[in-house]
Amino acid sequence: MSNRVRKDKDSHRKLWAVLFVIVSLFCIIFFAARGRFQAPVSSKAALLVLSPFQQAVSWVGSQVRYVTSSVWEIVTIHEQNKLLRNEVEQLRVQNLEASEALAENERLRTLLGYQQMMTQFDMVGARVIGRESATWSNVIVIDRGQKDGVDADMAVVTEKGLVGHVLEAGWNTSKVQLILDPRSSVGTIVQRAESRVAGIVQGDLDNPTMPQMVNIPKNADVVEGDVIVTSGFGGTYPKGIVVGLVSSLQNDSGGLLKIGLLEPAVDFQKLEDVMVITASREAPPEPIKPPQQTPGTETDPAAQAAAAKAAEENPQ
Amino acid sequence: MNKFGRLALFVIALYVLQTSLLPMIAYRGISPNLMLLLTVSFAFLRGVRQGGLMGFATGLLQDLASGTFFGINAFTNMLLGMFFGRFSDRVFKEQFFLPVMASISAIVADYFILALLMVLLGYRFNLVSSLQTMLLPMLIYQLAFAYPVHRFTYELDKKLSEKEKH
Repeated sequence: MSNRVRKDKDSHRKLWAVLFVIVSLFCIIFFAARGRFQAPVSSKAALLVLSPFQQAVSWVGSQVRYVTSSVWEIVTIHEQNKLLRNEVEQLRVQNLEASEALAENERLRTLLGYQQMMTQFDMVGARVIGRESATWSNVIVIDRGQKDGVDADMAVVTEKGLVGHVLEAGWNTSKVQLILDPRSSVGTIVQRAESRVAGIVQGDLDNPTMPQMVNIPKNADVVEGDVIVTSGFGGTYPKGIVVGLVSSLQNDSGGLLKIGLLEPAVDFQKLEDVMVITASREAPPEPIKPPQQTPGTETDPAAQAAAAKAAEENPQ
Repeated sequence: MNKFGRLALFVIALYVLQTSLLPMIAYRGISPNLMLLLTVSFAFLRGVRQGGLMGFATGLLQDLASGTFFGINAFTNMLLGMFFGRFSDRVFKEQFFLPVMASISAIVADYFILALLMVLLGYRFNLVSSLQTMLLPMLIYQLAFAYPVHRFTYELDKKLSEKEKH
């Protein structure tokens, strides 16, 4: 019998211990979400322990993906080549027009005495080695950390557009919060010259693949298909990085504001390589040079050959 | 290698698989949650105490290694581990149907606890559309992965308990 009593006492104590753990976990969740609690060193330690495994497994994964995508590319290469040639022709015409406009722009700027500066970025390339399946948040792990100069609150991009920002930097890996995460908010504007409406892009719990642009006044000039870029307000994200396209507009439940659903510029389902912007500085823009044309597709072979010859004769 | 080391290695291997390889087959950002499956299987084999501990450990690992809302996975996994641990002495360990089916109710419970926490944290969402876009694919993934994960956990558990007896 005595055994039984002791067991009861023991189970009482266990129950209290369990209750204590549950309640403290519950509190920690809220303090952590409000930014008043941060897991000390342990979070970085967990990142450090996991990183070699994650790097190895994601390397295997990327090899598999490389092989399958190569096979698919070889199958579709002929058709794609035709389309690309077509696109190159169009882009060359556009490029000519753009350099005309650039020259005109420069001329007018000197006329006005307007100082022209462009932002240049120092970037660090990184590979995505982990992604949490949690559907309530969107965070990836990349294989660069403090030893490569990556630190918290740096913007992360791909060549297509904005990915997110560094949440926490470990020694050799970092966590990146995507713009799809409900906790993320990015100051943005509409790129169209007549519009330039400002808004905030937030992740949406309802649709984890499409972020929302909120706080747009109801009569604001935003239409479907508008390109949304970062505004640079707030300081985390530099100005002018593409965020996405407006795919549809809805009325806010309050009735005074509109919400734009965005098609992000970056394909978050196939995120493999990203770049971290470690520093940005202002510098005069480089003059546009026409790129080397691929042999066999030249629009004007004679001119191209002459240019190549000239470049050979007086290299800078 | 001792018992704890083997278990830790198994957990880490599953976690790495979940975060590095499984996102390749993710549907709209949703991929299977192996940590939850492991917790449920382990709870069925080992009971309330160890099930709860396993849930706490796997959840904490998830919270520390990913940048999600800190503590939510430790909280839900521990609760679910303890809940399913209660059934451990009522089912045969060789019986696979129940633990596999339990993984479905586990993911549903996990979803609703997390949804409740999100609402309490002040994030609003449309429950009906979220049920369709999140819970449905998650259910299918969990069902597909429940058997293999339970199989591995069962084999590991058998080996570990054999060692204990000797």
